[in-house]
Amino acid sequence: MEATALSKWYGEVIGLNNFNLDIRHGITGIVGPNGAGKSTLFKLALGLIKPSTGTMSVLGQTPWGNPGLHSSIGFCPDYESLPSESTGREYLSLVGGLHAMKGAALSGRIAEVSHLVEMNRALDRKIGGYSKGMKQRMKIAGALLHDPDMLILDEPLSGTDPLVRKDIIDLIKRLNKENGHDVIVSSHVLFEIERMTHDVVLIYKGRAVATGDISEIRDLIDKHPHNIVIDGEDIGALAKALLDEQFTVSVSYNDGRKGITVQVSRPDDFFNRLPELIERSGASVTKMYSLDENLEAIFRYLVGR
Amino acid sequence: MDLETAFTGIIAITRHSFKKLVFSRKAIITLLVAVFVAAVMGYAGTQDVDPLPDGTDMLDTLILFFFMPVMAMIYGASLIRDEIDDKSITHVATAPLDRAFSYAGYYIPLASAVAVSMFVVNTAGFLAFFAQNDLGGEALEVYLEFTVLVTVGAFVYSALFLAVGVLFKKPVFFGLFYAFIWEGFIGSLPGAIQKFSVKYYLRSVGADWVDYGRMSTFEEASDPLASGLVLLGLLVFFVIFGAYVFRETELT
Repeated sequence: MEATALSKWYGEVIGLNNFNLDIRHGITGIVGPNGAGKSTLFKLALGLIKPSTGTMSVLGQTPWGNPGLHSSIGFCPDYESLPSESTGREYLSLVGGLHAMKGAALSGRIAEVSHLVEMNRALDRKIGGYSKGMKQRMKIAGALLHDPDMLILDEPLSGTDPLVRKDIIDLIKRLNKENGHDVIVSSHVLFEIERMTHDVVLIYKGRAVATGDISEIRDLIDKHPHNIVIDGEDIGALAKALLDEQFTVSVSYNDGRKGITVQVSRPDDFFNRLPELIERSGASVTKMYSLDENLEAIFRYLVGR
Repeated sequence: MDLETAFTGIIAITRHSFKKLVFSRKAIITLLVAVFVAAVMGYAGTQDVDPLPDGTDMLDTLILFFFMPVMAMIYGASLIRDEIDDKSITHVATAPLDRAFSYAGYYIPLASAVAVSMFVVNTAGFLAFFAQNDLGGEALEVYLEFTVLVTVGAFVYSALFLAVGVLFKKPVFFGLFYAFIWEGFIGSLPGAIQKFSVKYYLRSVGADWVDYGRMSTFEEASDPLASGLVLLGLLVFFVIFGAYVFRETELT
């Protein structure tokens, strides 16, 4: 997938702005906060919308006005697109028919794909009764049915529980490794992408802000001060201990003095030292989370805002 | 794209859309309209009437020129538009099938569903009125003539409202205006302006066939063959126009 100076405006709203991209074989993660332009990129790649300016090429072809390209692409959208009144089998039969598949070949492929996404036992149930995870699997099955060269999966993990996430991540890796599909997968959670691939494109406000190996991007992110919230008992002693450390930028009490927010310059050092500091201070930690899981903050940092 | 791919794709969409139309709440609307028409015509049939002309006028006014465009609007204006709005159009839009062909997969089941629906309404009204008065050969002739007219109307109005549904984001507003104001009012005005309605051409065709009621004495009727060709031309135009708009529409 290649994009050169690609822009898309929806009236006065910018979807993508002077976007450049070059994605090769394998699994590629598209990471960005909500509204960054990930779905716009995919719609352009599928020819659902046309570029305002610039060029886009997928598998060497221009997507807009080129339905033939869809025989080489499988798409799993991030929204509910399944007909709730149909069964899984009926849905896959419809998708198969749309890809000129029929008869025994279609039935065989439905069995094969539903087995691959572990939905074979739910094939004859109404989609309206599926869980979120089952719907995601069924959408992936629909994308896989015609055995495309390239899979575009838009937020396939969104709204799923940790167990389903693990299954879908494993499935995506398998699709690439064992079945040879090139996969472009989007998420707004970097660590989820990290579990699937090292090749990432970071999108923010319609621009590709970083492209390449995820470890390089990780280094950039790790230089960004992290805010970590720690809740628990006797937390004051831990706060004092933290203030003596080089990596601590600031410590502040949260409402009710039951917790603190620590700003650290080197998260890795912080996480390595923390168990010892907790033990030494006698604090009892009940909860800990990073405010910087909010990707928006990291992206603002990466683009220097 | 080869013809077989196009044909298989059209059949897949046709099957899916037809099932959606037949098993939707719209089917209940058809039944309610049929009950309403049967009740109105049944009651009229109990009054002091001249069966053939009065029954023909009721089929003419109530079914062909009121419920015909209304039902086509109810079924047609939302068929593709709803799928665009709730994004369930995705599997069609990402298929290796030119959207102009996909459009045929929507039009065929729509026109068929509207035709079946109007057949049910027409039959209910006819039986409710004529069963009380006269179910003879002449009445059956009127029934067959109106069955043909509602079938032709179903195909033309379906083409119109399906295109409206693709063209407008809120097709119901335009549909209501068209069905009630344009067809209902403009189409009933004397003079040349009524020629800008589908109703006029249906009535012109009917004037040549139907021997009873106001339709048989429709003085401003055009030549029936020319009217039939105009209806065919409108159908082809609306289908091609709708398919073109659907093909060029960005699905955001």
